[in-house]
Amino acid sequence: MRSKNLVALGLVAAMCLTGCGGGTKTAETTGAAAETTSQAAAPESKEETESPSSEVKVYPAGTVTFYMNGNPQFRQQYFETWLENHRDIAPEVSVEFVQVESNADAREKITMTALSGAVEDLPDAVFLDRLNLMDLVQGGLLVDETEFLSPLAEKMVDGALTEGMVSGKMYGLPDSVRPQLLMYNKEIFDKYEIDPASMDTMDGYIEAGRQLKEKSGGETYLSWIGSNNMTWKCWGRRGLMPQANAKVWDEEGNVIIGSDEGTKLALGALDTMYSEGLLMRVEMYDPALYDAINSQKIATFDIGAYWDEFMRQNCQATAGQWRVMSAPVFKEVGKAGAPVSSYMCIVEKGDDGVYKELIEQMWYDFTFDTESRQAWVNSMEEQNAPYTNPISLEMLEDDFWKEPSDYYGGQSFREWEGLTLQNGANNMIVTAQDAEGDEIISAEIEKYVAGDQTMEEAIANMDKNLKAKIGKAEIVD
Amino acid sequence: MLKNFKKYRAPYLFILPFFILFVVFQLVPTIWTVYISLTKWRGIGAPEFVGFENYSKMVIDDMFWESLLNTAIYWISGLVLILFLAVLIASLLNSKCLKGRAFFKTATFLPNICAAIAMGLIFRMLFDENVGLINEVLAAVGLDKVPWLAGTKYSKIPVILLIVWRNTPWFTMIVLSGLLNISSDYYEAATVDGANGWQKFLFITLPSISNILFFCSVTLTVDMWKVFNEPYILPGPGTSNTSLFQYMYESGFNVFNMGYASAIGVIIMVMLTIVYVGQFLVRKKQGEVA
Repeated sequence: MRSKNLVALGLVAAMCLTGCGGGTKTAETTGAAAETTSQAAAPESKEETESPSSEVKVYPAGTVTFYMNGNPQFRQQYFETWLENHRDIAPEVSVEFVQVESNADAREKITMTALSGAVEDLPDAVFLDRLNLMDLVQGGLLVDETEFLSPLAEKMVDGALTEGMVSGKMYGLPDSVRPQLLMYNKEIFDKYEIDPASMDTMDGYIEAGRQLKEKSGGETYLSWIGSNNMTWKCWGRRGLMPQANAKVWDEEGNVIIGSDEGTKLALGALDTMYSEGLLMRVEMYDPALYDAINSQKIATFDIGAYWDEFMRQNCQATAGQWRVMSAPVFKEVGKAGAPVSSYMCIVEKGDDGVYKELIEQMWYDFTFDTESRQAWVNSMEEQNAPYTNPISLEMLEDDFWKEPSDYYGGQSFREWEGLTLQNGANNMIVTAQDAEGDEIISAEIEKYVAGDQTMEEAIANMDKNLKAKIGKAEIVD
Repeated sequence: MLKNFKKYRAPYLFILPFFILFVVFQLVPTIWTVYISLTKWRGIGAPEFVGFENYSKMVIDDMFWESLLNTAIYWISGLVLILFLAVLIASLLNSKCLKGRAFFKTATFLPNICAAIAMGLIFRMLFDENVGLINEVLAAVGLDKVPWLAGTKYSKIPVILLIVWRNTPWFTMIVLSGLLNISSDYYEAATVDGANGWQKFLFITLPSISNILFFCSVTLTVDMWKVFNEPYILPGPGTSNTSLFQYMYESGFNVFNMGYASAIGVIIMVMLTIVYVGQFLVRKKQGEVA
């Protein structure tokens, strides 16, 4: 019996040692990477690489992993081509894009991985919005890119860096800055003889909806509204609220949504449109919505520029009928919707973060290299795939970004994406409690859409529940 | 104690793996959950001890109370409908008059092997307000379309239907196994005594499977208090369909309020314990358990 116990003990010990062995191997790999000769990253490194006398940094074999939501496979195409063209510095490096459900999902995965201590399993970079970026910065999980980005600030569109900054430091490599704009079906407006230019103000926009309803006999709606959280996301947080200069929190983080005039203006406009039957009740991204668009039952979208890719992919029956203009402004404020920024952030992996400079170089070329960016955009057009306008000022001056779009009847969507950024409203203050706050606010909006309460009651309930559950939000600079 | 351990060393060693797994994956996380419920923690950094703040927030949180009420509705409706249907279908499957019994047994079990999320997506299409089959049928017979999932009035109906549809087969099989164990002598004797079908069911079948029904009610209770898939895939406006378990998940992983999510987890544990003890005491009073 004793000898059997000894054998069992020996087996357990062997298993433990095998487990330790795996760790040793990883450490050796990391060590090897650290020994690789170094060279400064882009933009300096790019110039140095071209110089024959400079020492070229060759990156160790492995995979650069990105977390991204949406359609990461298309961005992967750019980086794969880039690596193929840079085999001198990355001979055995490949790129992997892991699709995540949302920015919050990416944050959850990174947080949980970091908590488990499996640093080597963290992605090398992640695409984030401000809220989740801020959270990961507070957890020390993102790399400070201030030194790298500071010299490039003047080359980028206004505000490109702002949302990626926390306490004066830059953590996000800007990926895109996309405006809120108004898409309208010109054919519908021509049919009912309504002037689209009248929609430059919110009053004009609502009046256009009334005319559409009257002249179409209720068949055509001004826009949409849904009973899930997309109504708050699209109409509220990114749309009407910034347009009306509305506030959920004051500068100290106190809840003020219940008494804020901007909120009454923003959600009051939504209430007017919905209560007058100008908005079709249908959920965002549902097939029923695309059916309604394709059968000309929905005439406009006051929405973020990202909506373009969904229209092109799902609403080809109305191709050529759509046009773009600035989002309507409230006369009291005079601002169109707030732009939405996205950032590529390098994850803090300590000694395992061997691809930091490589990622910076890849980002630099994606952002500032006109030739490769245009080739990629052309490929995206061919595949009917999503792409965004560049944030490089120099690149934007190129006529390529003013080329007409067939889907928009010859109007240049790319050019209008740039033009509609010009009168953008400021984004609402982002706090560490915004995810929770959005859930509370959205629940009340959804109940309003369901007909359970008036908009006044919804705003009062938002105020009450935000105060009860969050109290005071943490404002992060 | 030590003497006992030495005497029964082999049996103790045999059950040791279970206890190791229990301690590592159940006991420690449970204790950790209770601790986290007393802290403010967003999943990153060190938890900050806040005492019973999360529990006091829960008292004034409308979303928590609505989720609790929804869960109770799912529990009661699930318990009543599933057990009723399980007994009914099992009785039919056990009937000697039924031809092709093997086929019906297999067909009955099919809903249970379908993936909950896939079925949820199909139910969502069926109950869509604008293009759903249910509303198309209603419209075809001249009735108004119903905002099944777009309004709070009817939003729980698709969820309850999905829960019942998916779970009934499993409990049908359990009840059927009980029915198969009842000796036919009882029924023959009852027939001789002049009992009709209803009387046989009431005085022979039900008492004979009462222990099985108790087991089913306990497992159903646990299942219903941790129901997640169905309300998650069939959401109504706001928290009108949200279950307590789902609210715990969303508090933890959507808004990263780990302390609050853990407090909800502790409440679920307490509620389940109370319900189980209640059920056990009722049975004990009936003299069914020792």
